[in-house]
Amino acid sequence: MKKKIFSLLLVSALSLSVLAGCGSEPANSSQPADDSQSGAQSEQSEQPEQSQEPADDSQSAGGKQYEGVELTMWSMWTSAEPQAQVIQEAAAAFEEQTGAKITIEWKGRDINTVLSASLEAGDKFDIYEDDYKRIAQIYADYTLDLTDMAKAVNYDSFSYPCLNNQVIEWVGHLNSIVEQPQVGGIFYDKDAFANAGVSAEPKTWAEFLDACQKIKDSGVGPIAQDDAYCDFAFYHQLVRHLGEEKIGELSMNGGWTGSAAETAAQEIIDLVNNGYFADGVPDAFPSSENKIGFGQAAMIVCANYVTAEVNNNTGTEVNWGLFNYPAVDGGVENSAAYAGANSLAITSYSQNPQAAFDFIMLLTTGEFDQKMADTAKQIPADTRNTAPAVLNGTVETLLAADAPMSWCGGLYENADLKSEIKDRCMKLFEGKFATGADFCKSMDELY
Amino acid sequence: MRKNKAMIFWFCLPALLCLLIMFVYPVLRTVLMSFFKVESVTAGLSDWEFYGIGNYSKIFGSESFLTSMRNVMLIWIVGGVITLALSLLMAVIITSGIRGKNFFRAAIYMPNIISAVALATMWIQYIFNYDFGLLNEVVKLFGGDKVKWLGTDMKFWAMTAAFIFGSVGYYMLIYISGIEAIPQDFYEAATLDGANKFQQFTRMTLPLMKGVLKTSITFWSINTTTFFLWTKMFSPIDTEGSTIVPVVYLYDIVFGGKGVTTRDAGAGAAVGVVLTLIIVVVYAVTNRLFKNSDLEY
Repeated sequence: MKKKIFSLLLVSALSLSVLAGCGSEPANSSQPADDSQSGAQSEQSEQPEQSQEPADDSQSAGGKQYEGVELTMWSMWTSAEPQAQVIQEAAAAFEEQTGAKITIEWKGRDINTVLSASLEAGDKFDIYEDDYKRIAQIYADYTLDLTDMAKAVNYDSFSYPCLNNQVIEWVGHLNSIVEQPQVGGIFYDKDAFANAGVSAEPKTWAEFLDACQKIKDSGVGPIAQDDAYCDFAFYHQLVRHLGEEKIGELSMNGGWTGSAAETAAQEIIDLVNNGYFADGVPDAFPSSENKIGFGQAAMIVCANYVTAEVNNNTGTEVNWGLFNYPAVDGGVENSAAYAGANSLAITSYSQNPQAAFDFIMLLTTGEFDQKMADTAKQIPADTRNTAPAVLNGTVETLLAADAPMSWCGGLYENADLKSEIKDRCMKLFEGKFATGADFCKSMDELY
Repeated sequence: MRKNKAMIFWFCLPALLCLLIMFVYPVLRTVLMSFFKVESVTAGLSDWEFYGIGNYSKIFGSESFLTSMRNVMLIWIVGGVITLALSLLMAVIITSGIRGKNFFRAAIYMPNIISAVALATMWIQYIFNYDFGLLNEVVKLFGGDKVKWLGTDMKFWAMTAAFIFGSVGYYMLIYISGIEAIPQDFYEAATLDGANKFQQFTRMTLPLMKGVLKTSITFWSINTTTFFLWTKMFSPIDTEGSTIVPVVYLYDIVFGGKGVTTRDAGAGAAVGVVLTLIIVVVYAVTNRLFKNSDLEY
């Protein structure tokens, strides 16, 4: 009998230890996990001890606005990134000001692999970060409508209309707040342009070719292009000739041959044949973009983060400029520019949506947004703030944009063929196709 | 001691429950899901729409999936032959009594203790780099023109070469343990009988290592079928046709990607089922080809 009881106790202990092992770390654990060991870690935002004292005092004196409120935020950054440092500081300031407690979990870029399942399961978190298109098109059912809250703070007056309107077009209402706006186009080294005698930013394809020739003559490779962004670069050319909707149709059903895509492809082939690409294009990312930092190339088609990447990678301070992708003869969409964002959203089941919104506002406006822009070298989310020097002109470009172009949206409407289409775009820049018609024929072979 | 069956059951129960919940249930759900149209991996059953073999038709009609299968087959066959042959060669050399055995064993195994991310970065940025990579420096030394090792034509083979470099040490250790398990007396006797080293290798070492070879082929098959990280490293921003493999294709269609918000968990489940079946078939064929040795030592 004793043996049986002892055995049962052992089994119970074993079961409990297994269950305990399966359990998660308490959210308010003060032991941050080692970031080098885990991309997704839980870490409580560190609040200076000094700031905790006044919170207690004020509680005794009647309490702060969100005393007792606990917020959990899932971030797309890792704790070592500059964005994370600013978020930590903003969280500490919010805790100090309002008495709320914010727990931040650093999920990293792969947050999109867990968000859907976690939202469906109703996991306990209030705020999350991701690409604004995914927030609008994948997580909308589990994301709070922020229209009224945004109206109450007059959000329209200090945000980018093109991004807000895009979200409203997708979802029917505003369900995210921009944290990291992005803008695409041709980023160039102003000094390289000046040295080559290119005094004005090219507006048309003819002016662009002229600028390329001058830069080439000055001994610098005109255009840098990494393999990773060949699709994005060619997408601009396609959009100019076809518009996003038509590209989407071709992507889904084929029929590239005989379309204006042939002209678009031929124009890229001409760039290759004329030697307008820097040596090695398309290079393995980020080798080609780095050539701008090394003075071997003058411009690149990419989004704004390329400026910080090149400066960091090469240890130089390139004198950056930005102009919209040139208009082409007979183009149907000659002014569109890529605009996108990583945004913040609130779960539809959050118990404290107003507190969550207030924290988002603190983070994406004023002092902390400026700090974010300066530290992470990104475009400020608050239009009243100033872009860092490397991104001069980006706020104005974004404000002026009426309809943003998506990130290869039309080209990848057929998600299944994405990798094959991308491969063909890379081959186009490698000069593997003799004519635009050959390129289109190769595309049609996919269907 | 008398067996207490109830006690055995109770002791096994926690492990059994874990197995059922964490392994059997997901497997069954995945197989079932592969016959339904499902958008999200965690969608409730009420959101599932019966699709018959639609998901299988879709993936086998997809150029991307077929490319990914071709790529993984090439890695399995070409990479497998090179990796296992090199590993066996290294193992035989190291166990042949050369000086500095421990050093060479550690040096060849070292890539396995370095993070694959660091290893891939080293290959991409320092060896294959177009402008200042080691290979192009060598090419230039011999007066040749720089080669685009990471162009669309060469990228797959560049990736496979890097993967082989990272894998040889692991299989070499397996083979070393297999060779060292063979009693030295056999070789001494064979030497006395006049067998040379090559004959000893082909007539004794290889037959006595049937089981080890079977294990290594099974491991290699699993490693290549689940090939993921190297593709992600060699096509860092988004998947490319030249390096795509089935698991990456699965990942992309289940979770979407840069600029893509469409998801298809049902098709992803079908890919998972196909990959599992491939491993099972490879295992069965390997078992048949390398029947348990009738030799004992």
